[in-house]
Amino acid sequence: MNESAGHASAPEPGRSLAVCALIGAALMAAVDEIVFHQILAWHHFFDRSTPAVGLVSDGLLHTAELLGLVAGFVLYADLRRRHALAPAHARAGLFLGLGGFQLFDGIIDHKVLRLHQIRYGVDLPVYDLAWNGAALALLAVGVVLAVRARRGLRS
Amino acid sequence: MSGPHLHDAAPQGVTGTVIAVTALLAACAYLAGSTRLRLRGDAWPKWRDACFTAGCAVLAYALLAPLPGGPFTAHMAQHLMIAMVAPVLVVGARPLTLLLRALPVRPRRTLLAVAHSTPATVLVFPPLAALLDLGGLWLLYRTPLFAGTHHQPLLHAAVHLHVVVSGLLFTFAVCQLDPVRRRWSLAWRATTLLAAGTAHAVLAKALYATPPPGTAFTTADSHAGAQLMYYGGDLVEVVIAVIIAVQWYTAGGRVHARRRRRAESTGTAPVTSAFH
Repeated sequence: MNESAGHASAPEPGRSLAVCALIGAALMAAVDEIVFHQILAWHHFFDRSTPAVGLVSDGLLHTAELLGLVAGFVLYADLRRRHALAPAHARAGLFLGLGGFQLFDGIIDHKVLRLHQIRYGVDLPVYDLAWNGAALALLAVGVVLAVRARRGLRS
Repeated sequence: MSGPHLHDAAPQGVTGTVIAVTALLAACAYLAGSTRLRLRGDAWPKWRDACFTAGCAVLAYALLAPLPGGPFTAHMAQHLMIAMVAPVLVVGARPLTLLLRALPVRPRRTLLAVAHSTPATVLVFPPLAALLDLGGLWLLYRTPLFAGTHHQPLLHAAVHLHVVVSGLLFTFAVCQLDPVRRRWSLAWRATTLLAAGTAHAVLAKALYATPPPGTAFTTADSHAGAQLMYYGGDLVEVVIAVIIAVQWYTAGGRVHARRRRRAESTGTAPVTSAFH
């Protein structure tokens, strides 16, 4: 990765988008951890029906979230110091990352791997709808911003 | 429930005391070394002295002082401090670099030979260091080994020593702050950290569901201990990740500055002349 750190610098839209998507995904994972696990205590730390593969993927995702947050911020700082940040693409990437992780969490973690549910002892489909609906809304904002960023680049 | 006497997190008896005294002596030696460097006019940041001393103090405190919480929680707090917190503080202070600079020529050559020997080179291969550290942890908590340490003092001592040494080895290998013969790339070290963090998180959740075999801690105690392991582990992993990230950023900065100087000397005005 070192070689890319030294280039002097036209804006790098692709890299700006990817780095901010990484930050967005890691941020959303952190928000999930802090708000739903810790503050609201809706999710369970460990759901006894969690299968082994779910436990491993959960551990991997959790660690990747922490490392992703650190990596995302240092890559962002690197873009800034090289004046290579494309702000419009960065914003689009952030929303794509936020929505992408939220959707991944809602579909893969909650439904496919059945790690834990959003909340226990409630009418779950409503919560799932709100969760995944919010994810799609964030993704939609990300897509609109990305399209506008590309147009802005061409003009 | 077999009572809190089953595992006293402190006081630790002979091994704990020996490790703690060694740590305090190491702190004195470190301070003597850095003072020697400064007296002869070399630069050695003050924060590294503080970092190393704090690491040794954490180690000694965790081994000698009684820790709060149930027996399993207290045990976990102790392990977190001696296997993760103290090693990061100690390794962050670059003790090998200091030793190599402070020692007289003859012992320095010996130390360098040891540091560059084949066994040392193999041991600091990050995935192997991670395997020794996390593998030991899995053995301890998923086999009757943990229950065994309560009855056999020698086993208890060996486990303690392994936890401290493998924690230091892992942190040393992944951070790679000191000069070693074989340098491992960022990708190797980051992937190792990711894998080790995963193994740690999975083990913590497994402990939440089922405590180590052969033990009888209360549910509240084993839950608190497992969560402490999970979130405490996170904290130290983030610190290690920041150490690696700062290394990458600094190295990138050096490359950048070099290219800028070259561009300026050849007269091609770079776009980034406003850099800094």
